Amino acid sequence: MKASLHFNLIRKEEILSPSPVRLRVMLPILSLLLVAALAVWWMLALTRAHAANQKLAAVNAEIESLSRSHQTVLSLCAEEKELSASLRQIGFYTNALTRFGGLLSGLPEHVPADIQITELYVPPPAPPPAPAPMPGVKAAAPTSTFECVSLRLAGRAGGDAPADAVDSLLTALRKPDFTNLIVRAAVPPGAFRQEAARGQGNRNTLLFEIQCDCVPRRFE
Amino acid sequence: MGINLSKLKIASKSAPVLDVVGMVLGAGLPQGVPAVRLARKDGVDDLVAGGFLDLSGELPATPEDAAAATPGSWQVPTAFRAPHAALAIHSGQAFLRHSAETRENGENGDPQMRSVSRATAPDLPPLTAGLPEFQAAWAARLFPEGRRPTACSIQIASTAAMSGFSHNPAFKKAGGNAIVMMVFPSYTALAAFQDSMLVLYREHPVGFRHVREAVSAQMRVDEAMAESVLDDTLVDPIPMIEPVLRPLLRQIEISVDYLARRRDCPVENFFICGLPTGFRYWASLFNRMLGRTPTLCRPLESFSGSPSAVLPDTHPLASDGTGQLFMAAIGAAFAVLDDHS
Repeated sequence: MKASLHFNLIRKEEILSPSPVRLRVMLPILSLLLVAALAVWWMLALTRAHAANQKLAAVNAEIESLSRSHQTVLSLCAEEKELSASLRQIGFYTNALTRFGGLLSGLPEHVPADIQITELYVPPPAPPPAPAPMPGVKAAAPTSTFECVSLRLAGRAGGDAPADAVDSLLTALRKPDFTNLIVRAAVPPGAFRQEAARGQGNRNTLLFEIQCDCVPRRFE
Repeated sequence: MGINLSKLKIASKSAPVLDVVGMVLGAGLPQGVPAVRLARKDGVDDLVAGGFLDLSGELPATPEDAAAATPGSWQVPTAFRAPHAALAIHSGQAFLRHSAETRENGENGDPQMRSVSRATAPDLPPLTAGLPEFQAAWAARLFPEGRRPTACSIQIASTAAMSGFSHNPAFKKAGGNAIVMMVFPSYTALAAFQDSMLVLYREHPVGFRHVREAVSAQMRVDEAMAESVLDDTLVDPIPMIEPVLRPLLRQIEISVDYLARRRDCPVENFFICGLPTGFRYWASLFNRMLGRTPTLCRPLESFSGSPSAVLPDTHPLASDGTGQLFMAAIGAAFAVLDDHS
């Protein structure tokens, strides 16, 4: 009975919303705001793109203007590197210099009176072993920083005990005065012999050779 | 791709109405427009506010008057600002009667009248309520959009009063068959219920204003004095009001007889509502002619469980007299709450 007594004479289209926020009003406003926001966003995007293009053009022009100087700087840097490498190499050679002066100046004090030095020879170092050739690859330049150094002494010994004189010289070469340069000193087999070439009178004179291994040269 | 805004608007109103202000327009009361705000929470109806509003509730008499009115001009005090308003209208041009045709908002009917029909009992023709189109349209646009309240219901005052009466605990307690006299200023509506179904509705052109005028004329006092006479026991006004009420009571007698003979509906309970003054004399005459004692329905009784039902004695709703003037406002609000709950 309750529902049947509600004789509602109002029409649906006459029923208004009590809410101050109405879709009918808010939708157009929101649409306008959305369009305005999109327009602003689009304008900002265009402005930023324009600014970026301008900046790009300026940077390109600057690069163009600086490219010649840049090439110069690059070539100077390369030259500097090359010269520095050369200087370093020279420095290595300086460091690797074998100083025979001290040895030679001190040698006469240790040479017995019965010995005459006839030859003092520093042979050139043996070339390093060549790497195995690889097809299509250019052989690399020698890169070894290590070089063996040797010293060969030759002479003749006379007197009553020439062998002792040679031993005395060998012993002297193994003393601390020389060990800073000479690592090992020995008479190679067959290098101790009589001198026959100068006649029978010189049969007591012995020819000898002493082979010394020196401290190697290090190019560092 | 287009969006139908009106559909969106209607869809947004689908939430149940749980807070509504009921108002009576066209009552012509000097106190103002009777208004009550009701809220339904967890099935309990609460009387949030009630009183007479200082608004002009006078109905436009012609379409020209309605067209000249400013739409959206009404605003109510803060306490009455429910989201929705239910308007009960007293109009001399309105009607409520049993009719063979079923009408929904004026379709297939007189375009000058807006009408709606409801079946109240299975074996009876439907009841049709009608209101002039210009008055209904005027009432619908009294309140502005976007502010509380806005009109969600327009009802004839007598149907609204019936809705209010149906919530009265005295009627609920009585059960069975009952006749209620809804007294308005210029007419009295008679509604008969059989097993709580409305089976008879009649209007008789005798209202409480006629009674008051009769006392005023015969005692040669103004209407305010006549009203105090009807409220008091100093003078017995029955000889003055009996000629006025006799035809009405005779019609009730005939209706009771009709219900008993034709519908096998003996009426045991009689109720009067909407009568602001002189109930004791109406009841006395009623008892003398029909041998029964009617019960006065008090609007506040509908809110016996309401947290706000205890009102000061000076409140218009708490008074037995002026409280009756709110019956249609309360009924209009109840009808909306019942419809949407």
